[in-house]
This record gives sequence, structure tokens and C-alpha cells, in this order.
Amino acid sequence: MPQTRTISFTLNGRPVNAEIEAHHTVVELLQERFALFGARESCGQGLCGCCTVKVDGEAVSGCLYLASFVDGASVDTIEGMATSGGLDPIQEAFIEAGAFQCGFCTSGFILMTQRLLEEHPDPTPDKIKSYLSGNLCRCGTYPEIIKAVQLASSKRRASKAAA
Amino acid sequence: MIPFELSEPDTFAEAVSLLDPEDPTIRPIAGGTALMLMMKSNVFSPSRLVSLRGVETRYSEVDLTPEGGIRAGALARLGTLERHAGIVGAFPVLADTLRILSNVRVRNVATVGGNLAHADPHMDLPPVLLALDASVTAISPSGQRMIPIGDLFAGYYETSLAPDELIGELSVPAQNGRVSAYIKCTTRSAHDWPALGVAVSLDIAEGTIVDARVVVSAAVEKPTRMQDAEIALKGASVSEAAFRAAGEAAAVAADVISDVRGSAPYKRQLIRVNVARALAKATSSGGMGS
Repeated sequence: MPQTRTISFTLNGRPVNAEIEAHHTVVELLQERFALFGARESCGQGLCGCCTVKVDGEAVSGCLYLASFVDGASVDTIEGMATSGGLDPIQEAFIEAGAFQCGFCTSGFILMTQRLLEEHPDPTPDKIKSYLSGNLCRCGTYPEIIKAVQLASSKRRASKAAA
Repeated sequence: MIPFELSEPDTFAEAVSLLDPEDPTIRPIAGGTALMLMMKSNVFSPSRLVSLRGVETRYSEVDLTPEGGIRAGALARLGTLERHAGIVGAFPVLADTLRILSNVRVRNVATVGGNLAHADPHMDLPPVLLALDASVTAISPSGQRMIPIGDLFAGYYETSLAPDELIGELSVPAQNGRVSAYIKCTTRSAHDWPALGVAVSLDIAEGTIVDARVVVSAAVEKPTRMQDAEIALKGASVSEAAFRAAGEAAAVAADVISDVRGSAPYKRQLIRVNVARALAKATSSGGMGS
């Protein structure tokens, strides 16, 4: 019989428990236990970024991360980004720049952009390209994605300056 | 993936004791980025994984030593090395290599020890660490021993580690003015596994090469020092002619493998050109170490 266990972690700011098996991944955990489908498995090899989630603030590939390893950790997904006050400025920027076509990769790009702008508030186009090189958009909206990141960067800096 | 059991010991000693030298289906897992790929493709189907993530925190720490070398616990993330200002300042070749190693998410999770123990000849860090004359400390129930990086890799995905032995720590000596560089050639996309990796390290005094380390990886079954190229460089003046001669010597001597990333003759040409380029890169301002 597969070994099952209960893990406790913080999911988008809320304490949760889940019954899992040792071989489950974070993507399976989010989809099957919490019906969160924003992180999705595409390449399954950590190359495409569609499964991006944040664990203790760092971006990781949910398809290569065992669910057991988020026990006690803090997990943030795309579903936790918007607040009751509206969309996150990064989400707004992706919409305004038209930085997607089908949208399958978008949640991963947005989470990576959030982490990018935390580390580099005003990134150069080269920094954007290298930081997001592990995220693939099959619709090829890369020029718009780079514009969206720059727009998000200026929105964030403007809101910081106003605060 | 097929189901397996997971042990999560609190100490490194306990983790070592949970491995069974008679049972290859019981293996350690750290970051898991490489192991997960093997499990997902059913190349590896463990009965039990021993997670190293809960062991003493000193195995996750990274320090610049007072002598100017690096001491990194096996569980240190590649991203931790990348973000350590002292280390990337003292070892610009590591900064240069980590920047192009896989992607941000993998570097946030993959560990120094796992990167070495996996012994995938296409990885970027092993040839660089070999050129920097690094070593690891391996820990088993019978004690610990120091293994130079050159002796750690035994073949294609093979190490000289015993089945119940784990890498505990990586040591990189101070470079004392040596200069180094790494170049990788990918033939399909920038993020593809390389067809060739070249790492070099030179000790130069007054324009003359006193000592050279030239390492070729990816095109061969394991990161390999190219002795003929090193001999060609020793005593030579820093010059394009010397770099070309070293590239020629490495291209002739390397035991090159054909695969989907290129034929052996093609990769031999890559070696010829890129050994010379790596040597030029190391001796330009970009390769200057401390």
C-alpha cells in the first residue's frame, strides 16, 4: 500500500492540511486537493515554467517538486495574487500589454515576473530575457511579455513612490 | 511516477545509515530536480527515497574561507552560490557559469552535492570545479574521506562514491591569481544540454603560462582534463598561437561521443575552436580571478 501522510502548510496566506502520498508533486497537490489549476504541468521537465509556484518566496517548478517538501512551508500561487482591491499591477500590465494569446503559460510568467521585480525592480531587457529564459510561450508573445514586465516595473515603482 | 516511500531524517549521519549498499532502489534525494526527471520517465523507480532536506543546517551553508576558497555544504542551493556576493566576486567564472546554468527555478532548488553526485556529463558546474581543482568530502558509516573532483567522476552518470556514501561538502581552493573561464556550446537551443563544455584555469607569471588546467565535458563520457593541451600550454607565452595549439591537442586527444547534439567529428571541431576561445576568454579581463 502506498504510504500516505498529512502535510500542513500555508497556501496563499491561509493555513491548510492535505493528505498526500510520497510520490505526489506540488502540481498534483494543488490541482487534486485544492482545485487550483493555475500551476499546470506542460513540459514536465522544469523547462517551460507553466508550473511555477513560489515556495517560501522562491520560484520553483511545481512539476519537479515533491508535495512532501512543502510540509511546513509557505506556498504562493497565481490564485493568491489578486486582492479584494483588484488585480495585481503585474496582472494589469500583462493585460494592458496584450502579453498572451492562449494564456496557458501566463500564470507562470506572472509569478516569475513578480520574483524578478522583487530582486531587480528596474530590470534591463537583457535581465528580463535571462530571468525569464526558463519560461516558454508557444504563442510567441515574447515582445509583449518584455513590454509587460517593463510596464509592471514602472507601475510598481510609481505605486511605491506614491506610498 | 510510481509510488515509493520517503524517509526524512534529521541528521546527516542518520541519512547515511538509512542507505542500503545492497539495495540500489533506496537512494538519497536533495533538490530532486534531476532525480524527478529520472523517476517521471521511469528510468529510475525507487522503493524508498531518503530526503536530505531536514539534516543539520550547516550542510546548506556556503562560506568564503579566510584563505579565499569556498566551503559549501552539499545541500547548498546553486542559487545560494549565485547570490553570494563574496563568492561570485572572488570566482567570476562561477558567476559566469551559474548565470547560464539551467534556469532560475532549477537553481533555486538544485543542490551542489546533487549536481555532482548525479554525474551527468552535460552539467556545467562539474567541469568548472575540476578546472578550479575542487574536492568533496564524502561521508559513509565507516567515516569520511576527501575525493578530488577528478576522481569523483568514474564514467557516464557514474561516480566513485560507495552505495552508502554521500557528498557532505564541497571545497574549492583559493585561486591565488589564477584566471579561469567556461564556455558551453548548445547546438539546438540556448537551454539545451550542451554538445560541449570547456573549462580552463591558468597560472600566468609575466606573460608566461606556468600551469594550465583544460577540462572538456559533455562531448565526452565524463568531465576530463586534457593533458596534451595542458602540456602544450605549460611554459608557453600567452598568445593566440599557444591557445590554438592547445585546442588542436585537445581535439586530437578527446574521446568524443556522437549523439543527437552532434557527430563526433563535429564536436571535435567544437573542441578545437572552443578550447582556444576559452583560453582567450580567461586571459581577457572577463576571466580574471582573484
